[in-house]
Amino acid sequence: MKTRKATLLVATTVVLALGASACGGSDNGKGGKGGSGTKDAALTSIVNKSDKKGGTVSFEFSDEPDSLDPGNTYYGWVQNFARLYGRTLTSFKPAAGKEGLKVVPDLAESLGKPSADAKTWTYTLKKGLKFEDGTPITSKDVKYAVERSNFAPEALSNGPTYFKAHLIGGDKYQGPYKDKNPAGIASIETPDDHTIVFKLKNAFADFDYLATFSQTAPVPRKADKGAEYVKKMVSSGPYKFASYEEGKAATLVRNPQWDPKTDPIRPALPDKITIRFGVKQETVDNNLIADNITVDGAGTGVAPATQPKVLTDAKLQKQTDNPYAGATSYIGLNVNVAPFNNIECRKAVQWGIDKASVAAAQGGAPKGDPATTLIPPSVAGYTKFDLYPTEGHKGDVAKAKEHLKKCGQPNGFSTNLSARSDRPAEMAMATAVQASLKKIGITAEIKSFPAGKYFQNFAGNPSYVHANKLGMIMTAWGADWPTGFGFLDQIVNGSAIKPSGGNNVQELNDPKVNKLLNEGIATTDTAAREKVWGEVDKAVIEGATAVPLVYRKNLLLRPQSATNVTITEAYLGMYDYLLMGSAK
Amino acid sequence: MTAPIETTGSAAEAQPEAVLTGAKQSQIEGRSLGQIAWARFKRDKLAVAGGVVVLLLVLLAVLAKPIQWVFGLDPNAFNQDLIDPALLAPKGAWGGMSWDHPLGVDPQFGRDILARIIEGSWVSLLVAGGATVLSVVIGVVMGIVAGFYGGWVDTVISRMMDTFLAFPLLLFAISLSATLQDGAFGLSGLPLRISVLIFVIGFFSWPYMGRIVRAQTMSLRNREFVEAARSLGARGPFILFRELLPNLVAPILVYATLLIPTNILFEAGLSYLGVGIAPPQASWGGMLTTAVDTYQADPQYMFVPGLAIFITVLAFNLLGDGLRDALDPRSK
Amino acid sequence: MAAYFIRRVFGAVLLLLIVSAVTFAIFFLVPRLAGQTMDQLAAQYVGKDANPDSVAAVKKNLGLDQPLYIQYWDFIRQIVVGADYQFGPETTRCDAPCFGYSFRRHVEVWPQIVARVPITFSLAIGAAVIWLVSGVATGVVSALKRGSFLDRFFMSVALAGVSLPIFFTGMLALTTLTVQWPIWSDGINYVPFTENPGEWAWNLLVPWCSLAFLYSALYARLTRAGMLETMGEDFIRTARAKGLKESQVIGKHGLRAALTPIVTIFGMDFGLLLGGAVITETVFSFDGMGKYAIKSVQDNDLPIVMGVTLTAAFFIVFCNLLVDLVYAAIDPRVRYS
Repeated sequence: MKTRKATLLVATTVVLALGASACGGSDNGKGGKGGSGTKDAALTSIVNKSDKKGGTVSFEFSDEPDSLDPGNTYYGWVQNFARLYGRTLTSFKPAAGKEGLKVVPDLAESLGKPSADAKTWTYTLKKGLKFEDGTPITSKDVKYAVERSNFAPEALSNGPTYFKAHLIGGDKYQGPYKDKNPAGIASIETPDDHTIVFKLKNAFADFDYLATFSQTAPVPRKADKGAEYVKKMVSSGPYKFASYEEGKAATLVRNPQWDPKTDPIRPALPDKITIRFGVKQETVDNNLIADNITVDGAGTGVAPATQPKVLTDAKLQKQTDNPYAGATSYIGLNVNVAPFNNIECRKAVQWGIDKASVAAAQGGAPKGDPATTLIPPSVAGYTKFDLYPTEGHKGDVAKAKEHLKKCGQPNGFSTNLSARSDRPAEMAMATAVQASLKKIGITAEIKSFPAGKYFQNFAGNPSYVHANKLGMIMTAWGADWPTGFGFLDQIVNGSAIKPSGGNNVQELNDPKVNKLLNEGIATTDTAAREKVWGEVDKAVIEGATAVPLVYRKNLLLRPQSATNVTITEAYLGMYDYLLMGSAK
Repeated sequence: MTAPIETTGSAAEAQPEAVLTGAKQSQIEGRSLGQIAWARFKRDKLAVAGGVVVLLLVLLAVLAKPIQWVFGLDPNAFNQDLIDPALLAPKGAWGGMSWDHPLGVDPQFGRDILARIIEGSWVSLLVAGGATVLSVVIGVVMGIVAGFYGGWVDTVISRMMDTFLAFPLLLFAISLSATLQDGAFGLSGLPLRISVLIFVIGFFSWPYMGRIVRAQTMSLRNREFVEAARSLGARGPFILFRELLPNLVAPILVYATLLIPTNILFEAGLSYLGVGIAPPQASWGGMLTTAVDTYQADPQYMFVPGLAIFITVLAFNLLGDGLRDALDPRSK
Repeated sequence: MAAYFIRRVFGAVLLLLIVSAVTFAIFFLVPRLAGQTMDQLAAQYVGKDANPDSVAAVKKNLGLDQPLYIQYWDFIRQIVVGADYQFGPETTRCDAPCFGYSFRRHVEVWPQIVARVPITFSLAIGAAVIWLVSGVATGVVSALKRGSFLDRFFMSVALAGVSLPIFFTGMLALTTLTVQWPIWSDGINYVPFTENPGEWAWNLLVPWCSLAFLYSALYARLTRAGMLETMGEDFIRTARAKGLKESQVIGKHGLRAALTPIVTIFGMDFGLLLGGAVITETVFSFDGMGKYAIKSVQDNDLPIVMGVTLTAAFFIVFCNLLVDLVYAAIDPRVRYS
């Protein structure tokens, strides 16, 4: 693919540039002085590499986080950010490029030791780990953190509940707030203070990825105040909260109880970290350009209004990175809504859609490339293929009409296309899809719904979908952890069809796909497992129930003063907040 | 005018004093009220101009579909070849203006702006007109009943109007249109959005009309011609509709004309906020929302829908002012 | 006076109750009429990973499993006496006035509103001062110099003013002054008065003027019409006949009578703005009550929307009440009408 070549080219340029500057003895040394770098340099290398301690890293964020409590968040950037004050059993290696997708031990001495059937996972904690108050971190604190984050929706409802779904007895346990028995859930065992054993219902070879979730960051039971814990959190990482103002700002300072000897992955460069919420995006962008702040916390790129300014300025352009965001926008063709119960009609749509126009509509190259697979290139298990190749991804009207004929709808048909009304890019894509389908005689009426209720009440609610004939459903998916399973399981597995709130919007229940997924996740060999994900992806696209539209990308801007900057593919293509330092 | 919110006019002109009937004059001179008013209106050049523009706009809105068909304008057709892929703004000066696209094309998609303005006109006028009719009907009925019967009926209706005036109208409108997103009451998509908007805007602004009609009715109630009708044995409903209503036509007409631009602004405001007409259906307010995101790359874009709203509202205001002056010489 | 006062205050409280009932109906009754179930309603407040358990938990916490009238009663009761929530190992106390708890953001509603009041107030008060002065002044001048060039000029501008949507003028001002001629080169951002009064005023100047432009236009038109009408009244002729100086006729009699309805209208407009200048705040991205309401509507954060709507209604009712009471104090006849 073209982008691949481009990436390679950029990478080569970067390497050369780095080499040249090293010879010249300029910015890129160990001094941490900052500098511009080159466009996309942070995709494959660490820009302004530094090991100099000191300074302040300042974050700004245009919205409010769902919560900074590691046990009550689903936001990708909070997962990334929370690692500064919450150490987890495992984490992602802070490194440039593909290395960043590697899971490494954090609190644990090594990665999890699975039983042969991959149903029991054992972790041994390092010695000498302490909370910010000096009390030692035990396996019971980790267990408690998992319990509160997964089993107490009445207080902490934001986060994912994978532990609940996979642990034995997860459906029965009422959570630590209702079930006052200090023994907690039986399927997490803590035989001693350094060992924690997870017993699962089913084989789950990706468990080390679950262990990277901020939900495994230890929480001392006596400090937990449920939803209020966020106001006074107890740190286990290199930084602790010096102040926290709900919805406004927070300041983190060094945590003297954190022992760098137990923690090889956190360079912990800055002395202080500040974060401000609710700053409007244009102001955040201006502050990045003016070098007043270090990073935009959201990691989703500059505002549409800023984009032209950045792209037309040669100097600013050098400071941009355009990584994949780990998410794919696609259309689910619901197999229970006629005529999409017929594979030929689905194939007609596959051929008919002009993906180049869709990609342009959602914001052009800086915001995404046309997609041919569900799994995006930055997720482990991505296999490149294109089953419906057309020139320039522009669609093929003749082929589409051929399939329409086979489907018994030679003159096309009418259907509904749903999208989220408060997501301008998605509405724009839907508009483009509508326009290109018109050329093959398919009239798609756009139905828009608010994002807040989209899956609960509309697109993810089969009874609504059937009653209102939502044949085509616009959606986007980013993995909760960056593997093919993490990406696909919730969107193509038959078991993910739910009466409401489901993400398998195609209602795909293909025995072949289900079998591959279930076998794959039981495979402990990483290489073999990752190969399966590509096969699943291909099987889905062959069945033509999902039309991949765009691999989402973000246009990030790194200010000159930011040091040790690299993109982490593990966290949706934002900057790695563990590494980051500041020359200021 | 109605709806004292930022989108619109103020509660102000809803005050009964602001619009006066011309009933008094009709008895003094030999010419009918209509003749006098028309003669006066014709002299007011600006009002006539406003009226002509309004007429053209209504024609444009009614004939929107045929016009688009005749000139081959498609408000939803993409012209992405006219868009700069990096900036997402139209290529060329002045927002991509050309013979094919006299007002240029919109950013991101390259849709013809002229076609979208025309498409937006019928939505705008339909919502504003529908809402006006709704509030006029409710307001007139309530106002006449309250003013004519007086007593506890008047008290109840007046309190009701006071209550409505205390509603945070815009917040209500936003909440209601968000609650009824898609699929309710057997409607869905654009028809539902339009119905919801008409209902929300119309239903919450009738008290302004109600107050005016009530005050007018009260002043007419004890006039000689009503007394005469009553002494001849006419009953309530007959008096209401045969004697009072014709005399209320003038203020109702003036006020309704002034209500339309307010409602146009209201609809545009809701669409601007993202709770009105949903894209890809073209609406003037919606076009301005897109313009916010693209003003760096395509600063011209905002002027077209902005001016469309301005001209339309101005024309209605001119017409309304002119009608008022013509029907009520005292205000001039 | 005391009886009148009590009657009016009582009426205002009743009015607020009605507004709250209507607000409540919009969110709980209308969706039901439109065919949604309480489970679906509850599901909106659960977060990304909803499952039957969490839906049930939220349903219970929000009281959605209760009949509607009980839900409404609870809502009103907690405003007056506060409420207790069970969101973790301990009970959380939500003191009166307790407007509930946002399940989306995990915060109490009232402190969130209180935090945004200064922004909205800053915007409304500043704009009100500008539009009252400029609007009334132009209106009076136009009325007195009726038909003159000045009158025609002012009235043309005013007509344009009422015909321009604030989101267009605001956006125009914003783009012109921050991008085209970047006088506010860092953009326009709200700075709290307590932090830096100079910056506060400087950043509010453009929003003030944008908002005031619309209202000035309106008030100029109203004042002019009011003045013209008043100056034709009998008592003005009487005043002139008494031999009063023209300035006294205008100042003491004309202006006073003409301004009376304006003050009533001002009470209404100002009250509405205090409840959130939704569009202006959106245009300038000021995180005041209005923008917060819009955002909460989009997020379906119902408790917050309810809270903001009721607060807004309170300001409207309060301002109207204030105006009425002031009139009653000045003019005894009002009390009996």
